[in-house]
Amino acid sequence: MDFKHPFISNSRLAFYYVLTWFAILSGSVLLKWLAYGFDPGLAVAEAFALPFTFAIIGASIWYVIKYSTLENYSAGRIILSHLIAATIIVFIWLYLGVVIIKLIHPYSGQWIDNNLAANIFSGYMLYLTYVIFFYAVNYYQGFKEKLRNEGKLKSLVKEAELHALKSQINPHFLFNSLNSISSLTMTDPAKAQEMVINLSALMRYSLKHDQIEKVPFSEELNNNKLYLQIEKVRFGKKLNPVFEIDENCLDALIPNMILQPLYENAIKYGVYEATEPVDIVTRSTCKNDILEIIITNNYDPNSISKKGEGIGLRNIRDRLQIIYNNPMLMKVEDNKKEFKVTLAIPQK
Amino acid sequence: MTEKLRTIIVEDEELARNLLKSFLKDAGNIELIAECENGFEGVKMINEMKPDLVFLDIQMPKITGFELLELLDHKPHIIFATAYDQYALKAFEYNAADYLLKPYSKERLMEAIEKVAERIRNEGAVSDVAEKVSDYPKEESLDRIVVKDRHKIHIIPVDQVRYIESMDDYVMIYTHEGRYMKQKTMKYLESALNPKNFVRIHRSYIVKVEEINEIQQYEKESYIVILHDKTKLKVSKTGYKNLKDILNF
Repeated sequence: MDFKHPFISNSRLAFYYVLTWFAILSGSVLLKWLAYGFDPGLAVAEAFALPFTFAIIGASIWYVIKYSTLENYSAGRIILSHLIAATIIVFIWLYLGVVIIKLIHPYSGQWIDNNLAANIFSGYMLYLTYVIFFYAVNYYQGFKEKLRNEGKLKSLVKEAELHALKSQINPHFLFNSLNSISSLTMTDPAKAQEMVINLSALMRYSLKHDQIEKVPFSEELNNNKLYLQIEKVRFGKKLNPVFEIDENCLDALIPNMILQPLYENAIKYGVYEATEPVDIVTRSTCKNDILEIIITNNYDPNSISKKGEGIGLRNIRDRLQIIYNNPMLMKVEDNKKEFKVTLAIPQK
Repeated sequence: MTEKLRTIIVEDEELARNLLKSFLKDAGNIELIAECENGFEGVKMINEMKPDLVFLDIQMPKITGFELLELLDHKPHIIFATAYDQYALKAFEYNAADYLLKPYSKERLMEAIEKVAERIRNEGAVSDVAEKVSDYPKEESLDRIVVKDRHKIHIIPVDQVRYIESMDDYVMIYTHEGRYMKQKTMKYLESALNPKNFVRIHRSYIVKVEEINEIQQYEKESYIVILHDKTKLKVSKTGYKNLKDILNF
């Protein structure tokens, strides 16, 4: 969330704000001077004492709005907080106004008697105008930001899709899988058939999800089990997938194709380089509206694997950041024996 | 065909081995003498059993097929079998007899075996794999060097290399743990090592830049490099220029 005042982040808006107040102030001065025959100095002094100070103080009303957004709080709470804020601001405003009037106005006592009560009312009205104005500004800004984020998210999902597709047609995966199938057709045709079916299901899954952003965890999990099953045929006992999934988590929602890069990495850095079995363990729990997924794999610390591209992990982090607005949802730990990635997917 | 080709398979995937074995059963001129699951085993078996032909995968645990070739005392004919097409050129630079792309057909395999038989008829049993190997720098910088002493294969990450000294046809590679001899040329290593990290300072020396503690004038026009552990190495004129370039002095 952006806590920068719109007048700071949007200089055009600030300019129009100043312009509007300038027009109002000069209008009131001219009116008092020409139509009501006020002394021009007096008209300027009165305009300076009250409307001008409100123009300054009023800008701060934005913060009240930012901290009591329409989406997050009940109507009663919002009205109450605005009543309190309005009273405080009107009080400060009138206090300042009276001080200024006393300093520069020749008939300050008379002015106070005549105008104070009316100004309390106009203070509250001005406050109301500001509230409406700032809600509109915030709504517009939020709308623009949402558009921007959606665009970014779309391109990230595209990237993830592309990455998933690429990893499925990469020589290591696709051609070695096809070679395994070629081998199985002679020794174990039933298993060959099963593998062709699994491979098809896997590819269908990644082709299907081009628009939908979130899928049930169970679906994502099944897809990755397919992926691991196919690799298991190739790597045999070297690849040992273990799943410890809390049944309650299966309906939780998760961005699609966010897990596969993690399994890919586990295979690339764990299984490819190993001569001993490698456990790829997936644990998940649900608490406090958070779906926590932990994927670990042991690896041979002596194997000097090529530097990872890191694109897979970065893409996951970026997508989580955009969808959930939180950069801390993915944690990566590497103790030189075991690689561990923890994802926390908010459910709300 | 008078004599059978004594053959070893080096391949980490069981299914891929099974397929190759069952294809080979129908080839009349092949005698399978061993199967190896990884590169280490492969080096040992090839050096011990001295086969005529080796089927070699490229991506394997521990060491790659190319690294395996560098460690052979005995030089068999090589047929690569891999899912990658990007290594084909390199494989032929290594004088491989053929390069099979997985999945391959039995007919394609037989063609490859025929090529080997042809080679043997033309030039005798011994191929010249290793000589070719040492002359071809890899396209990307080296990230590890594989060496073999009498009993063991060592994998040295290049960031552990301190400096390299040439010794006739061999190079001596000095690391913090010890020193290792390898049959490679200085020219090869100079071009294969990352030029940001390593500098050729003399006909006989390549030094890791980080290891240099100081450069001292030794006589007029002649310099020595002193490493952090006080080792002193001679610097040639060209070497001094190389040092100037890389260290910007």
